[in-house]
Amino acid sequence: MTTHRNQFAPHAAHNLSDWTATAKLLCCRVDPAGKFVAAGAIDHTIQRWEIATGQRVTLAAHENWVRMLSFSPDGSTLHSGGYDGRWIAWDIHAETPQPRQIIQAHQGWLRGLAVSHDGLRVVTCGNDRLVKVWSTTDQQVISTLTGHPHIPYCVQFVPGSYEVVSGDIVGNIFHWNADHGGPARKFDASEIHSNVGDLAPFGGIISLTFSPCGKRITASGLHKVSNAPAGNRRAVAVSFDWATGEKLPKQECLRKDLDATMWRAVYHPGGTLIGIAEKEIGFWNPGEEDVFHLVPTPEHIFDCDLHPNQIDLYTAHFDGHLRAFRLAAAEAQP
Amino acid sequence: MTGNQYTPCGTIDHGLARRQFMGEFLTGAGTIAGTSLFSHPIGAGEIARQSRSVVVVFLNGGISQFESWDPKSDLETGGPFRSIATSVPGIHVSELLPRTAQQMHHMALVRSVSTDLDDHGLANNLVRSGRMTRSATEYPELGAVVARGLERPDFPLPGHITTMVGGVGGRANNAAYLGPRYASVAVGAENGGIVNTQLPEGMTVAVDSRRHDWRRFVNSRHRSRVQSAEMDAYTQSYEQALRLMERRELFDISQETDTVQQAYGKSEFGKQLLLARRLVEQEVPFIEIQHAGWDFHHNNFEFHLHYVADFDSPFAHFLTDLAQRGLLERTLVIVMTEFGRTPSINAGYGRDHYPKAWSIAAAGCGIQHGAVIGSTDAKGVEVTDRKVDHRHLFHTWLRAVGIDSSSQFDIGGRKFPIADPAFGPIEELLA
Repeated sequence: MTTHRNQFAPHAAHNLSDWTATAKLLCCRVDPAGKFVAAGAIDHTIQRWEIATGQRVTLAAHENWVRMLSFSPDGSTLHSGGYDGRWIAWDIHAETPQPRQIIQAHQGWLRGLAVSHDGLRVVTCGNDRLVKVWSTTDQQVISTLTGHPHIPYCVQFVPGSYEVVSGDIVGNIFHWNADHGGPARKFDASEIHSNVGDLAPFGGIISLTFSPCGKRITASGLHKVSNAPAGNRRAVAVSFDWATGEKLPKQECLRKDLDATMWRAVYHPGGTLIGIAEKEIGFWNPGEEDVFHLVPTPEHIFDCDLHPNQIDLYTAHFDGHLRAFRLAAAEAQP
Repeated sequence: MTGNQYTPCGTIDHGLARRQFMGEFLTGAGTIAGTSLFSHPIGAGEIARQSRSVVVVFLNGGISQFESWDPKSDLETGGPFRSIATSVPGIHVSELLPRTAQQMHHMALVRSVSTDLDDHGLANNLVRSGRMTRSATEYPELGAVVARGLERPDFPLPGHITTMVGGVGGRANNAAYLGPRYASVAVGAENGGIVNTQLPEGMTVAVDSRRHDWRRFVNSRHRSRVQSAEMDAYTQSYEQALRLMERRELFDISQETDTVQQAYGKSEFGKQLLLARRLVEQEVPFIEIQHAGWDFHHNNFEFHLHYVADFDSPFAHFLTDLAQRGLLERTLVIVMTEFGRTPSINAGYGRDHYPKAWSIAAAGCGIQHGAVIGSTDAKGVEVTDRKVDHRHLFHTWLRAVGIDSSSQFDIGGRKFPIADPAFGPIEELLA
């Protein structure tokens, strides 16, 4: 797979494909080999498209909304997590993929799931406030990490290691030791959460990502909440220096009034931060507060993932469409 | 007294309002003086009925029927919460209500409420008063009607109480032509009882008593020359406040054992329910507890996850506690809200206002336990069976506690039906 970093040109972004799923989409991921893209839906299914042909196959085994997807590094296995609390592993290359294993991973909703760099571990988190590290070999729990004071939303492995980071609904980011003990470090991003009365936290760490160089950890979510039940808030990304824990300038969309949550932020290998906010795809240069470009899309986006060609961004939409945007000039070819 | 006897200033308003305190009313087709609104002849049964209470838990903002009493788990638009079985075979509610589900044998559900208004204020008034407020006529809310209907001579406490956590508020303006005597009094509870009810430091009971004697004397002299409903209400408020001060310990939930307090929980809602139980023990006719903030146009499912959890455990324990103390058989508990929420999901994963097909729950006295009234279609869009609205419900709540909802108030010679006379109760919901 050749990369095309030099062709990355958000100002020239244009719609590449628009595929219809069976229901509203909550999440999507592109396989590291670039052959498939998968999306999770609120009709409890996963849709798998073959990128070259647009051919769609439905994967059915979850019993609630499918909230998170993650591919193994070799692209052979799709791991999915849903509001049924299940972690399911799929042989994604099969003509009609079936569950290889179904694990009841959490009591209540499973919120976050990620695969380690070598594919040997999966980390999950859920409404039971637990973070669990699993072996993909025998599907046994390697460690259960406790300490989040409220529901953890998302998890990631620290690049190249078995160390875990997790972010919760009240804005804590915990960095955990590999297999045991409490959190080694805490990053305080509580500014991106608020409370509705005393009852319900709103916001928190919606997604976590590391910069390509590994020097920053970035949380996406929302802030500036004026009326939570009405959805009056602004999308934001908060970054920390991974080594020192120093908080770095926030990145938000200042050029346009958007009631939005940044449901996911991902880094382009060149360092540009890509964030989805309502119907917009925003682009930030490292360290700059405001977006340098916005790409409008037809509907609300709830997840996105960058194709390994580094110029195609796949977006999962509320209207049940999976769209791809080429972040490059029309003549660019991966 | 049925003639028009106007106050010296001669205004009809004053005449009407003054008569509010005279306790005259009509029932059925004729005037009955000096009796009550009860739906059966006076006797031991009436005395029992007079000790009845109504507790309204008002989920202000509009709880989603899908995420509570009428789950549609199989629908794509039904949301991510499953339905669970209850203590009554065949009845399912949202999984967000695991503890309340186990009290369903004390409860009934109405899944076919259909109203017209999707504005919070107007809809709120609609379900509370059982009628549409017109510019010329405001109607008393359920609490005022119940306070009037279950009124007993010399009852030392207000008949219509809204609980608060901490603080104490004044009277609301929700009794319309029944007058401020029956309007709600906001009473706060925290450790030690009602705030601001201790005598100031240095003030003795004797001195305080002389102060009040002087106030009564001055009031009496003034009233001999000028009479007004407002003045009467003002005077009555003073006397009622004194009676409240004498009974401040009733509002002190810290007098409950640790076990009891822990069972109700540490939340504001739990504390208010515990206070409500203490007031039910005192036979206060009407108590309302507000649980506000349910207007989830955005993030509906996340917010319901937390809000219904805050409701479920204390509410279930409240029913258990009432039942174990033998209070539930004389207490009607209503879980009220102003409308439901859309069966569709908007792009913010919220649900918007939806008065067309929604649900309400009740428990306790006067209703069929384990009953489910009406139903909605598979998608929860339309009522398909036994459509009812605020007018039917208003009749039903009154009848459940023994008040004849077909009777009338006589206010200055004008007859005001207690409830909309074109409608009646949901008979199959009544015990």
